[in-house]
Amino acid sequence: MTPSAKFEKFYNGFRDIISVVHSSTRLDEVMDLVVWKVTEIINAKGAILRLLNIETDELELSAAYGIGKNYLQKGPTFSKKVITDICHRNKVIMIDDILTNPRVQYPKEAEAEGIRFIVDVPLSIANNVFGLLRIYFTETRQFSEDELSFIVAIAEQCSCALGKARLIESHELKYHQLALQTEKLSALGRMAAGIAHEINNPLAGILLYSSNLSKKVPADTPLREGLDIIIEETIRCRKIILELLDFSREREPRKIPTNINNIIEKTLKILENEFKLNRVKLCKDLAEDMPQTMLDGNQIEQVFVNLIINSIQALPESGVVTVASRVNLDKHMVEVEISDNGHGIEKEALDKIFEPFFSTKAKGTGLGLSVSYGIIHKHQGHIHVDSELGSGTKFLIEIPQVTNGQSEEAFDDTNENLSC
Amino acid sequence: MTPMKILVVDDELVICNGCRIILEERGHVVETCMTCSDGIAAIQKTRYDLVLLDLKLPDQDGSELLKAAHRNNGNRIIVMSGYATVQSAVNSMKLGAIDYLPKPFTDDELLDVVKKAEDAW
Repeated sequence: MTPSAKFEKFYNGFRDIISVVHSSTRLDEVMDLVVWKVTEIINAKGAILRLLNIETDELELSAAYGIGKNYLQKGPTFSKKVITDICHRNKVIMIDDILTNPRVQYPKEAEAEGIRFIVDVPLSIANNVFGLLRIYFTETRQFSEDELSFIVAIAEQCSCALGKARLIESHELKYHQLALQTEKLSALGRMAAGIAHEINNPLAGILLYSSNLSKKVPADTPLREGLDIIIEETIRCRKIILELLDFSREREPRKIPTNINNIIEKTLKILENEFKLNRVKLCKDLAEDMPQTMLDGNQIEQVFVNLIINSIQALPESGVVTVASRVNLDKHMVEVEISDNGHGIEKEALDKIFEPFFSTKAKGTGLGLSVSYGIIHKHQGHIHVDSELGSGTKFLIEIPQVTNGQSEEAFDDTNENLSC
Repeated sequence: MTPMKILVVDDELVICNGCRIILEERGHVVETCMTCSDGIAAIQKTRYDLVLLDLKLPDQDGSELLKAAHRNNGNRIIVMSGYATVQSAVNSMKLGAIDYLPKPFTDDELLDVVKKAEDAW
């Protein structure tokens, strides 16, 4: 091949890979193209690409070209030592002694496959090796400088592409999980509302008869005591159902321009005693330039009460609850952060804390956080939780910063209620 | 207390009977219906001082009875509902209900709203 023909071949191959790097967001597409193009351009027998699985610390087969299934199915074709070694050296390694080299896990099978020479190219981002491109040849080869630099350049581009695709995939995954969570909670909300309505009728019968009978029975008798317990417990059910209806968001917020700092102050005033009783310290860091935003003060107060009480209860004596507010100008959001330095929440529990009836407290109804979730969503906002065992839990609430004039469009679903 | 002639419209027999027992003990005269159409027929035939109405009825929505009562020179109606939302209370009031009693309720809560209606009579 003439130098110019070779250059053209490299150039075209490089261009193909770069175009996929920039256009594709799919990991598998990028990898398939890389193994194919590399094999084709440098006249190899085939190539495979293995990416490091961070959880298992194994290099997993992610793409292959030109290599028989039998050989691939053999399992990892190189030992763990190869990984640590290549991670350590982070440079191209050539293997011409495939039958004796420890880097080749199944030398006989490799020989049977027609492999005589192997080139290992590490894939790395910022010096962190996260994968390996292994190229197979049917005969020993001497590489020219430009061939080697082509291989290295391809590996670099491939690393970039994979890094980008991985990032996008992880963002997508996070987004899907969030969407799924929202969908699940809204389905649970609808179901809860349906059940609540159905149960109100039988409860009405119980409450009506028991309260009426109780008056006909002399005080200080076991019968009266029993009836009064029935009444109390039914009223307790009624309270739970009202909270459930809150969660199902049937109560539309009545939003008026409000400074969220005032709601925080009001909540803290209400909870002053709770702090004192539990000997928990309060650390307050409120934004000085907090603008007004459209919100339902009573509902937001309910959210703050729920979150702060949870924090207080999670804390041992002399724990600290921090309440901070700020304006996020980039996102046009008003943010409130409620954090504690308590024991934190277990990962399994963390996924469920916004579900109705999920509670870690012996006496909890499991509705506080789900109601809070419903309220914040009705404000077109978000509620996030972040927790680490042993160091504490942080709730972040974001509410869009809108003034009255802007609100028409965003809050059209609440106007009907406001006019009543 | 002036005894009133009261109609209870609810598709739950337990609630009809419960309300009847409690209100009759107070000297009121109580009749019950379990469908909306029976309720509408009843208010067109007889003059009731007060109607206790459940909005969720098997044949039609209870609001149909509210509308019929409105045409019928305005019977006084208290809406009882298991759909205890602000919205449903507001809607009932707009259709002419004089009060709203969310289910479940105690005998005292029932007697309170009836007493209020009686006082305003």
